[in-house]
Amino acid sequence: MAHELLNGLSPAEADQVLALGSRRAVSSGSSLFRLGDAAECLFLIERGRIRLSFPMLVRGKEEEVFFEEKAPGETVGWSAMVPPYRFTLSAMAPLDAAVIALPREALLAFFDRAPETGRRIAFNLAILVGKRLQLVQAMWMREIQRAVESRSVNPAATR
Amino acid sequence: MEMLVMGLCFTFVGLAITALAFAAATRPQGPPLKAQPEQPVIKPAPARFFSEGIIPSIPVPIQVPIEVLLKQIEDHVRLEQAAAESFVAFPNQALLHSKTTSPFVN
Repeated sequence: MAHELLNGLSPAEADQVLALGSRRAVSSGSSLFRLGDAAECLFLIERGRIRLSFPMLVRGKEEEVFFEEKAPGETVGWSAMVPPYRFTLSAMAPLDAAVIALPREALLAFFDRAPETGRRIAFNLAILVGKRLQLVQAMWMREIQRAVESRSVNPAATR
Repeated sequence: MEMLVMGLCFTFVGLAITALAFAAATRPQGPPLKAQPEQPVIKPAPARFFSEGIIPSIPVPIQVPIEVLLKQIEDHVRLEQAAAESFVAFPNQALLHSKTTSPFVN
């Protein structure tokens, strides 16, 4: 299994990193983490899918609304590496899945021991975070454009 | 003699009744009543009976089941992400504002 977080690492280095974590099974329909929880681990998906969602009030009732779905090889829960270390989305398995949970403390200690490996992982993490930022920024710009268009069509909405 | 006395009595009684009736008719009127503010004319509300055959036009909102609505939101998010990914891969104004087929934006 090639994990995006471990790109550029030798097999031996990747094994060292994976040895820091523990394999966790997530049964179909169960939660991996919830929005607002303390983020102590990031997760590498080995099998199945992980669905990210956020709460939204729909007809006066709170519902989990789809945000993104991640596949094997991808990473979820990088809030564990970014202060204030709280998850900003919820994650669940729509079908049986397995992940490798990497604790932040173990990773940081490993980076101290192997700074070159740590630099590569940090660079890969920056790419993940940057991709998400670009994606959400583009979605936000599209939404703003639509809001402006709807107000120019319906000037009463600006009052 | 008795007849004469009885005639006089009837005459007095008749005069007394006449005098009372005259006094009542010529009694001065009391202070005039204050002018009352004009009361608004209240029109009776139009009757709303079935016999008139008027059907009120109340729009009935069509609500799709919550599962369907959530699926529509998910489809919208997927389409918007795909559009955003296209823009990120090759940023230009046309791609940024390209329309999707999502019912939420059409």
